[in-house]
Amino acid sequence: MRFVSALLVSFFVLLIAGAVLAGDGEKVYGEGVSAPDTMLVSELMANPDEFVGKTVRVKGTAVGVCEHRGCWINIASDTEGETVRVKVQDGVIVFPAEIMGDMVVAEGVWTANELTMEQTKKVCAAQAKEEGKEFDEKEVSSCMTMYQISGTGAVVASK
Amino acid sequence: MRTFRKWCRTFHRELGFLAVGLTLVYAISGIAINHAHHWDANYERTVERFTIEAPGTGPTAEIEPVVLERLAIEGPIKSTWRAGEDEFQVFMEGGGFDVNLATGEVVRHGFRKRPLFYDVNFMHLNSGKAPWTGIADVYGGMLIVMALTGIFLVRGRKGLSGRGGVLMALGFLLPIVFAVISRGGG
Repeated sequence: MRFVSALLVSFFVLLIAGAVLAGDGEKVYGEGVSAPDTMLVSELMANPDEFVGKTVRVKGTAVGVCEHRGCWINIASDTEGETVRVKVQDGVIVFPAEIMGDMVVAEGVWTANELTMEQTKKVCAAQAKEEGKEFDEKEVSSCMTMYQISGTGAVVASK
Repeated sequence: MRTFRKWCRTFHRELGFLAVGLTLVYAISGIAINHAHHWDANYERTVERFTIEAPGTGPTAEIEPVVLERLAIEGPIKSTWRAGEDEFQVFMEGGGFDVNLATGEVVRHGFRKRPLFYDVNFMHLNSGKAPWTGIADVYGGMLIVMALTGIFLVRGRKGLSGRGGVLMALGFLLPIVFAVISRGGG
């Protein structure tokens, strides 16, 4: 029986050593990035329908991150005021708050979601609240299409 | 059968001691993450509001040094971002500033990792991937071995053929009933 104990302890010590040696290393999230070219966010946003269903890779500063589950980040465009959202599956990739302000390369499938009028109003109301502006739902006259990257991976790139 | 029980006892005991730490990690973070919609399980956040002299909404190249000077920031800046006509953001380690360029209103955001919770949640969600994937797999295997060996530890009325068996059936029934109800509810 001592042999069993010794075996289990040795195995665990090896696991702990592996964890220590692996350390933090490179900051890769999910599957990382593998697409050959990085495209400009402004290029993506200028003709969003052209890229729907395609795998895209973008680079920019992380200027927003999901506070609750780290399930999305907003990446700043090369055009001022413009951002693109990278949404990942809850729990599969978790973006930490520390990523804010870092240069990020992210990859995933470009998706378009047609919202209903009710959903559009909710999104507009949430945006107005976030920006501290008043919201009047009568101003919403047409349904919105939300574009985002369904993210599979990201890498925190060196600045 | 006696030898089999002896092996079960040994494995159950030894693995049980090894699993205490990991079980606490998964149990504590499990409760914390379950209530992520009630609280931020990973970070303590602070928000502070104050006003500076309005920098104006001119070109970013001109506005940026003015904002940084008026904020009198101590410590290195990671990056800045002109989020809109009158919105300017400054990012630093552990937080940043949202500046309204037209009014000079500033919101300072700060965050700090929650002691213990950040680390146990990081492990539970396997945010670091390898090598934790291996450790978590081994831990899962240990729980399976402990569960199965535990069945054979006690004989008689308190064992599998008596009260133990009833309790084990209840333990199976709970997830089965929940699965049936949740599937039924779509």
